[in-house]
Amino acid sequence: MALITQGIYSFLSVVGFSVLFNLPRKLIIAASISGMIGWLVYYTFQMQDTNFIIPAFMGSIAVGIVGEILAIYKKQPATLFTIPGIIPFVPGYGIYDTMRFVVEKDFNRAMTKGGESLFIAISIACGIVLATSFIRMMRPYIEKTLFSASK
Amino acid sequence: MTKEQAKHIIKIAIKTGRVMLKNGAETYRVEDTVTRMAQSKGLQDVNVFVIPTGIMFSADVMGETYTVLERVYPEGIDLESISRANEFSRKFTGNQIDTAEAYQFLEALNQPPKFKKWVRILASGMGGGFFVFLFGGSLFEFVLAYFASAFTVLFTDALATKHLNFFIKNILGGFFASLFGVICILITRALNLDASLNMVIIGPLMTLVPGVSLTNGIRDLISGELLAGSAKMMEALFIAIALAFGVGIVLQLSIHLL
Repeated sequence: MALITQGIYSFLSVVGFSVLFNLPRKLIIAASISGMIGWLVYYTFQMQDTNFIIPAFMGSIAVGIVGEILAIYKKQPATLFTIPGIIPFVPGYGIYDTMRFVVEKDFNRAMTKGGESLFIAISIACGIVLATSFIRMMRPYIEKTLFSASK
Repeated sequence: MTKEQAKHIIKIAIKTGRVMLKNGAETYRVEDTVTRMAQSKGLQDVNVFVIPTGIMFSADVMGETYTVLERVYPEGIDLESISRANEFSRKFTGNQIDTAEAYQFLEALNQPPKFKKWVRILASGMGGGFFVFLFGGSLFEFVLAYFASAFTVLFTDALATKHLNFFIKNILGGFFASLFGVICILITRALNLDASLNMVIIGPLMTLVPGVSLTNGIRDLISGELLAGSAKMMEALFIAIALAFGVGIVLQLSIHLL
């Protein structure tokens, strides 16, 4: 049940950010679906009580794979789907917390939060790069399945 | 190919790269596009070097080295422009358009269609507002964050037309995002309702934090573009510092009120 509501919230949130980033209208739904899948993967892993890196890493791999496949299908650069897609788990809250702790002169917690945000950003980037290179490898095969199915 | 033609091709390639870089495309994509556009018309020895604030290009034109430096000022993320530039470069390399047509396309690239203002404002409320739910906030906090985000984007859009330094712009952005949050909280306190300040501030702030620049910077670093990656990460760092300034001022001033 929580998965369904979380999916809807993340979908709508990514729709909002797609408009902010001036994404072409006909791609908004596709980008939001990639964002939703990414957030659901992130959420599922977060529920498992693992460390803070795994959820962001897995989520961005999902966004990367979905984004690249959509990019092949819609014949657009993959950035159009991955930039709005990673928005839900980009460490914005972490950056805000870091700022807040600095303001409160709590430098220990500020450094902890700041480091955490940095590592989340690194793991998101790693996930996207990994997914991209994987899909590049599989590209001929994916094109064959996608375009033979649509004919 | 005459010298004149070669110069036109280089100009078109660079201007396309400029549109992409200005609107937030990754550096490797810009390098790739410009190189391909130049090579498709038979230019030799094409070298392109891109950093987030400029494009350097050099090619061999009839035995002479021709070098262009294009200074670019990043303007934030506009995915419509990237999509159009990509389509244009694909047509150009596929020899579907000639030089005169290409200049017309370039003109159009500089004026991409934008969403209507009210759609943008409503959507920004959605973007910031639904974040509250993702972080486990309540419906009431969602409504507050919705209005705070919408006002913040309205404000930063108005600021974008003024020629301000990016640091000052972000200080003001952070200041007003948290100011709207604090005002919302003060009103709810006056009405004897309960809402968490963190939740209401994070919504509008989410439209400003440099999460995407940070991630893109690391992505450039991973793929070996050390200079471009460092530049993007420094940009993200300084945007975060500027936001912290703005938020910090408001939190400090409101500490006695809340």
